[in-house]
Order: sequence, then structure tokens, then C-alpha cells
Amino acid sequence: MTAFAAWSALFQRDIRAVIRSRAQLYSSILTPLLFLVFLGNGVSHGLAPSKLPAGDFTSYLVAGTVAMTSVFSSTFASASFYRDRDTGILRVFFSSPHSPRTILLGKSLAGVCIGMAQALLVTLVAAPFVDFGWQYGIASGFAAVVLTVLLLNLFLAGFAQALASRIQTMQGFHLLMNLALFPLLFFSGAFYPVDDLPRWLEILARGNPLTYAVDAIEVVTYANNNNAFYGLWIDFPVLAICAAAVYVLGLVRVPRLTWSGK
Amino acid sequence: MGGHIHRAVSPVTFSERRQTIALNLASWVAPCETRHVNPNGHSPEAIIAARGVGLSYGSRRALDNFDLVVPSGSVFGLLGPNGSGKSSFISLLAAMEQPAEGTISILGESPRPALRVRIGTVFQENALDPLMTVKETLTLAGRLFGIDRETITIRIERLLSKFGLSERLNDHVSTLSGGMRRRLEMARALLHDPELLLLDEPTTGVDPDERKALWTALLEGEQGRRTILLATNDLAEADTVCDRVAFLRLGRVLVAGTPAELKRGLRREAVRLVWDSPDAAALAEIAAWPGSGEVIQQGNDVYVTVDDASAFVPRLFGLAPHAIHSIRIEESSLEDAYFQHVGARARQEVPG
Repeated sequence: MTAFAAWSALFQRDIRAVIRSRAQLYSSILTPLLFLVFLGNGVSHGLAPSKLPAGDFTSYLVAGTVAMTSVFSSTFASASFYRDRDTGILRVFFSSPHSPRTILLGKSLAGVCIGMAQALLVTLVAAPFVDFGWQYGIASGFAAVVLTVLLLNLFLAGFAQALASRIQTMQGFHLLMNLALFPLLFFSGAFYPVDDLPRWLEILARGNPLTYAVDAIEVVTYANNNNAFYGLWIDFPVLAICAAAVYVLGLVRVPRLTWSGK
Repeated sequence: MGGHIHRAVSPVTFSERRQTIALNLASWVAPCETRHVNPNGHSPEAIIAARGVGLSYGSRRALDNFDLVVPSGSVFGLLGPNGSGKSSFISLLAAMEQPAEGTISILGESPRPALRVRIGTVFQENALDPLMTVKETLTLAGRLFGIDRETITIRIERLLSKFGLSERLNDHVSTLSGGMRRRLEMARALLHDPELLLLDEPTTGVDPDERKALWTALLEGEQGRRTILLATNDLAEADTVCDRVAFLRLGRVLVAGTPAELKRGLRREAVRLVWDSPDAAALAEIAAWPGSGEVIQQGNDVYVTVDDASAFVPRLFGLAPHAIHSIRIEESSLEDAYFQHVGARARQEVPG
């Protein structure tokens, strides 16, 4: 009996749950697209931003929307921990021959894949309708997007897992996830470029892992050159280190579950 | 007249008496020593052996010097009120917690997660995902226990047939009745063909028909092939299905043995009377007769435990020739044994 078999079983089960939950599936794709259509066009035409480094604001907003989609999906995926605990099924997993860490890893990998799939789907659906530069070519650019989204979702899954292992209620978990991740989104360059920000906000942006994910996606999809961006040589190492560190941190502390399910 | 038999004339109904046993016991607080009725009670093939086990949750002592031996192949009942340590002990066996003191041997080893592959568990409360189908529920469990897909398919078919759920293979769990869900959980616990089954109050909230169907299906064809450890506070259920039981209180085993051993020494029979306005003096007289034990009255209903009903009944008619409307004679039950062993212990500990 291998841990891989357990991961595989839990992975399939969580993926199936998301596919069955049509409302969650559709809203996770449609909400970011509507966000792009209305906010992108509204700001492009209503405010006419002039400091964008390349194409229009809608095109610029795609990277931020992908990051936002990942944030939402990682929150929902991690919240399944609470649902499993409350239905009692988590006790069944924890009373199998596998360690709680193996169980959580299986569930967390499913969350990473779900988040990746949703974020990439948003990219694929949006790409034909926006003004992307694809400076490294479409295939290479998309591969870079896949890698970026993978690292971003590992980071977010680790963060969510670390939080879930310390917060007793789903309501508290959602509250803290929003409290922590929304500000990170706001000064990540998701909705506006960070290079002309006030100094204090720029410093915060530089310390924000989401900034490097947004930057990497902007570089390979939106930008025509690397001016005004950190560039992939900075983005990928920073993201990889953050993702690895936070994902491991998320698995260090395994939530304790008693026989009675408390 | 044995002084150890409880004598009382109290306003408690018979049905209430059963329900209040568990509640009353929870309030008795002093520790007590373990006694095995059968001095040869441990099997040379003990599948579970606990010695001096202690477990605390904060300041609360869940298990205290807990000793127990469960013979291989038995259906062993852990009986006690809520908080007596039944679930705590099972959680130690399942290696979900570690004992603070003492030693536990299960399947010849110390409890550890890898041993769970030889153990099946059914929790006190439902532990099912309502959005999964019956087939998905069992398949997931099978894969977590490392069973190959072909074997899973064969076992699912066999177990669903055994538990009367074949028709519900592709139905969502949310569509199953409470009893069906319990049967599904039993099937899931048996899917990896465990040597030991840990059942934590598995029939709580299940109606009598479902309960009977569940036990019939579970025990059918077992014939000692598998050991079952049943934690319950349903004494009638334990009397029916268990071949050995232990009475627990305050985290300790008070007494353990077969139901017959535990009933030994009790008043052998219980006489239930419908008596037209019995007076206290008559009831006190009955309680003083040789061979009489407990006397409980509520209204016109009177319950008396006796050594020999054939001697008691003629004497009763002599005392109240026209007042007795009906008589029912019953053999001693495990409930009587429980009340006797646990109640007597508690009375020794509570002054007054």
C-alpha cells in the first residue's frame, strides 16, 4: 500500500466533487471573465490609463485575474477540509493506514490542480479576445504561464493549509484568507502596475509573492519587452522559493483530529 | 437475605430505569478496582490486551488504570455510560491517540497507524460524504486500504448483497435512510477484510428492525473468524450479540466476563406485577421476604427481583389475594447484571 495510491484516490475524489458542483465550476470561470469584461472595459474607456507598459487595460488585467482566480480556488479547495471534517469523512481518512500528512497532501494536491485548471482556463478563454504580445511565442509563453500558475497555487495551497490547521471554523478560515490575500492581491500589480506606486506601497509589493506571479504572467503574455517588469529570472526563483517554503510549512503542522471528530 | 442486593421502593418506571442507568452512573465519581468474574477469563489468544492504561484530556481523566483482555474471535461489548471511557479506549486501539500510561497490545503489537490495515472501524456518528455514491464511498475506502480495483469490485458486490444495498450501488449517500447509511458504514469497515472490527455505538439512532438486520448481516457467517469490539450503552443489544462484556465506569473496567458469568449470583428472575393500589407496608414486607431482592414501584406497576418466582408468587397471592391483576416473570438480563455490578460499586462509594 503506497502513499501514491492514497493521494490518487483522494485526488480523484476531490476533482470529482468540483466537477459535480456545477455552480462552483461555472462561477469560478465566469466570475473572472465577467471581471475582465466589465472592469477591463470600464477602466480602459472610462479612465483611459496612460501608464500601462504595453497593450490596453483589459489585456493587462488578465494576469491579475488569473492570480485572483487562483486565490479564490485555493480558498474553496482548502475549505473542503472543513466540509470533510464536518461530514465525518475526514475521520475515515485519518483512520486509514496512512498518516494524516499523507491524507492532507493528497487533498492539497487536488486543490492545487483545481486552482491551476481554473486559472489556465481563464487564460485560454481570455487570450483570443485581448491584446497579448506573447514576446516568447505562444507555446513557450503558455508553458511559462503553466509553471507560474503551478508555483502560485502551491504557495496558496500551502498558505491555506497552514491557516486551516490553526483555525477551527470555516467562517474564521474564510475571514482570515480574505483578510490576508486580498491586500496581497491589491499590491501585487494585479490591477495596476507597481513601478509608479508610492515608495511604501512599492516596498510592500516587492515583498509580496503574488507580485512575482503577476509579473511573470504579464512578461510572457502581455508585454512586448521586459522593460517595466522584474523579468522571469527574478520571478521564477522568488516564486519557487516562496512556494516550496510555504507549502512545506502548510504540511508541518497537521490538524489533530480526535476519534470523536473534534 | 444478601445485603448486597439493592432494596428500594422508588417512583421509577421500568422503562425509565433503563434510561436512567447511564445518566445516574455518570454522577458517581470515586475510582474503583477492576474485577474479572472469570478468573480464567483471558484467552491465550488475546487480540487486545491493555494493562494499566491511562489517558487524560486536560484535567479530565478519560482512562485510569484501564485493564482489559479481549479474546480473539469474540464479540466483546464495552458497556458503560457516556464518559466511561469506551470511545477513548477505541481511539487508542486505532492509534489515533497515545496512552499517557500503561501498555496496549493489539494484534500482537503496539497500536500504530500501519496496523489499521487489519482493523475496521465504525464511528459513533455518521462518517459519510453525502455527495458521493455508495460505490464511490466503498471504492475510495478500498483504495485507501491498498486494495486493487478488481478485488474492490468483487468485495463491493458481495458486501452490498450482504447488507441489502445492492440496488443502491449508484445512488448518492444523501438518498439513503439512516439505517442504510449505517449498513454502508459496516460494509466499508469490512471492505479490507479486517481481523478486528471496532464498533463505536454503531446502532445509535437506528430503529429496531434496521438494528436486527444490521447485526444479522454482520454476524452471518462470521463464526469467530473476526473479533468485534462493540462500545455501546445498549445493554439489551450487548446481551443479544456479545459473548463477552466489560462494564466500564469513570475510565476503568469494573468487571468483565461472559453475560452468563455476570448474571451469576443475581436474583434469577424478575416479577412484574400490576397491583391494585399497593401500600408501602405490603411492599416493605415483600422486600423482607427471603429470596426477594429489588422492589421498585410506580403507581400500580411493581417490579421485584426474586430467587425463585415459583415460591414467591403463591406467597404474594397470600399477601394480597384480590389485588394482583397480572404477573409476568422474566429471567435476569444483562441490564440487571449491569445495575447490580455497577450500581453496587457506586453505592459503596457514595456516602448515604
